[in-house]
Amino acid sequence: MTPEPTSTAPAAPPSPAPPTPAPPSHAPHRHAEPKHGETQHGSGHHDAKHSDTKHGDTKHGGHAEIKHSGARRGGAEPPAVVRHGPRPPWKLVALAALAATALALGIWSLLSVDTARIGGTGLVEAVPPAFFVAIFLSLTGFVATLNLRRHTPVLLATQVLVLVVILHAADPIVHGLPRLTASYRHLGVADYIASSGQLDTSLDAYFNWPGFFSFLGLLSGATGVGDLMGIATWAPLGMNLLLLAPLLALARRLTSHPRQAWAGVWLFYLASWVGQDYLAPQAYAFLLLVTLVACLLSAFSGWAWPTGSNRFTRFLAHHVTKLDPTVPHQGMSSPPPVDTAILLVISAGLLVAMTASHQLTPFAAIPILTVFLLSGRLRMPSLPILAVVLSSGWLVFVASDFFDGHLTQLFGSFGDVEGHTLGVVTQRVGGSDAHVLVVYTRLAEVALVWLLAALGAFMAHRRRTAWLTAALGALAPLTLIPGQPYGGELLLRLYLFSLPFAACLAVLTLLPDRPGGPGWRRAFALLVMGSVLASATVVSRYGNDSMEKFTPDEISLVNQLYATAPDGSVLIEVVHDTPWKFQKYADYDYRALLLAEPRPGAGPLSCDPADRIAQQSGAYLIVTTSQKRAADLLETTPPGDIDRFIATCGSSPGWSKLFENAGGVVFHIQGAGNGN
Amino acid sequence: MAIDRKHIAWVVAAVAVAAVPLSFFGPEGLRMLVIGLLMLAGPGTALVLYIRLGSAGTDDADGAGAHRSAAQSTLPLAISIAVASSLALSTIVATAMVFARMWSPPVAVLVLSLITLLLLALGAKRFPVSAAGAS
Repeated sequence: MTPEPTSTAPAAPPSPAPPTPAPPSHAPHRHAEPKHGETQHGSGHHDAKHSDTKHGDTKHGGHAEIKHSGARRGGAEPPAVVRHGPRPPWKLVALAALAATALALGIWSLLSVDTARIGGTGLVEAVPPAFFVAIFLSLTGFVATLNLRRHTPVLLATQVLVLVVILHAADPIVHGLPRLTASYRHLGVADYIASSGQLDTSLDAYFNWPGFFSFLGLLSGATGVGDLMGIATWAPLGMNLLLLAPLLALARRLTSHPRQAWAGVWLFYLASWVGQDYLAPQAYAFLLLVTLVACLLSAFSGWAWPTGSNRFTRFLAHHVTKLDPTVPHQGMSSPPPVDTAILLVISAGLLVAMTASHQLTPFAAIPILTVFLLSGRLRMPSLPILAVVLSSGWLVFVASDFFDGHLTQLFGSFGDVEGHTLGVVTQRVGGSDAHVLVVYTRLAEVALVWLLAALGAFMAHRRRTAWLTAALGALAPLTLIPGQPYGGELLLRLYLFSLPFAACLAVLTLLPDRPGGPGWRRAFALLVMGSVLASATVVSRYGNDSMEKFTPDEISLVNQLYATAPDGSVLIEVVHDTPWKFQKYADYDYRALLLAEPRPGAGPLSCDPADRIAQQSGAYLIVTTSQKRAADLLETTPPGDIDRFIATCGSSPGWSKLFENAGGVVFHIQGAGNGN
Repeated sequence: MAIDRKHIAWVVAAVAVAAVPLSFFGPEGLRMLVIGLLMLAGPGTALVLYIRLGSAGTDDADGAGAHRSAAQSTLPLAISIAVASSLALSTIVATAMVFARMWSPPVAVLVLSLITLLLLALGAKRFPVSAAGAS
């Protein structure tokens, strides 16, 4: 363990800053100019508040820590050397034991969940009280570790990992299968590419952005593992674990102290309820995006132009420095030219892979990179330009089939800010009372995070510590709102894009800008904040669990259907919530009678739509328990209507029941033309 | 640190070499482990070993603790770049093969392995073990 690094914040000027000349291009970092108190280091100046008697003595092998206090006191003062005593090992052992206890209790409680009790508000109805005890122990462990006199990154990492397992691995531990129908579709697209090596852009939009699916296809093809269901099952845990390092690297560039960075990462996991961490292109692209931003803010921080060259650049530099005097000092030292070139190529490569994999993420990268360029945190103007060229070029030229066929969808509602925000939110506040409660919990959690972030930015501005980059990063994705609603999911995605930044701002409300722990009062407040967010996330993240989870019986039913239905058959699901398409993606004509969405005042479902689809060559119709739960939860049909539909239509002429198990039932509907 | 770099380089090289035959045959579990590791972190780790992220000092510390603190503060970034660039390279290779209608997973693995070994060799040349301790 090394001493906690000192503040990156420079001494703030004692009075409002005059138009400060920004650092010259290509040498924008703190190392380009004298560091705060640089010449004083090692002078042995001691702070009365942190004397040897308080922090131990170097005779016991303690480390020296340089304390910068100028940023808060408004003037450059000689740094104080704080002596730390040896870390009491019993505290570390106790905190490690706390983490282990929380992990064991969390996993045990999830394994003991009775899935039959999962109802309208999701997993929260079925988890035993021990689960919440485990979360609380995990939160306590993190806060106590953060409050240790000495910074202990390994123990902090352990505490965060325990939280990730308890809070974000509930689905694989409880259900043992991938959640969301999209997971199964994604497996099917990867399977199609692995087996054929081809793309069929006429099938659906996935094939226009095949990067992630090609990656999965390569993994499947090269390893001979045709069934990636296990990877899909554990993807939420894997994705969140992979995110830890990039999130931390990013948070280190957004905050002034390592403890603030760790707390920001912790808060990200606590407030990350959107569940976009399943086996999906967006999860993969988000990982690349966070890494890209962390890399750029670390290695390419600085102004892209001489800040005194014209009025505009002077204006930018003046206001950035006035708002946040730490901005010119937040990057790392410039790497050697060879390494700079390599990092630039890596950044471009990340953009290419992101663009090839997902529609939205590269468009989110554009405003983020642009605001960093305009605020002196990115000295490579070529990268935002490259992001624009790649994402637009891909959409127009590579995804041309999609582009040509969806012009209205892409641009039809451009500028309709109200429709893309309030309209979408209003649309989502529907369904059963339990579901509405979940939706309101989500909205409240988003509001809380944004409120804390705004408060953190305000307080940091007052304290003259780092905040501007995080605030710009949090706000930049919102510029996508006028574009299009992205199937009603835009706000969810924007929340995710802004969360790494917002979380780093939110922790500034409680964590001080000095080395050392936050103190017990602040730590307690942090624990309360974490407990509120964690409790909300259990509801908001797993609130749709009753319809997003699937059972082995349902998978078995789909497998029986695939074994029976000849290629080319029409397969019908009553409600769009079936775990299928994980194989034979292009072999069948898949149809849905109803989308899984609220339909206020919807009437009973009749047999006619299914009969019409089957009219010519017959069809197979599948009804699963997940479909029934989705219909009830979202009020897609009147309560119990799917059971009535099965009883009524199942006995109609031409309908014959093929299979039935606890997961659902499959019918064959005879067509007029043949008995297929 | 030099020993760490050396050991990491050897492990990455072993994974890269083993992945080539395993892309043709072998137990499924072993193939998934080795090839999965290569695609997840192989070329990127070799790349990170080739460059210096915190070479000229960092913003985090001064004095005696600077070296260790520098390594510690750049570790998350190094891991991030190692993983993300490996994933990105694997994605780009796979996507290029699909678009070029030259789909061949074993060839893709061979390409990734060769890139990894090449970067490791360049890294060893750039930072010989005897000098790497100063990094």
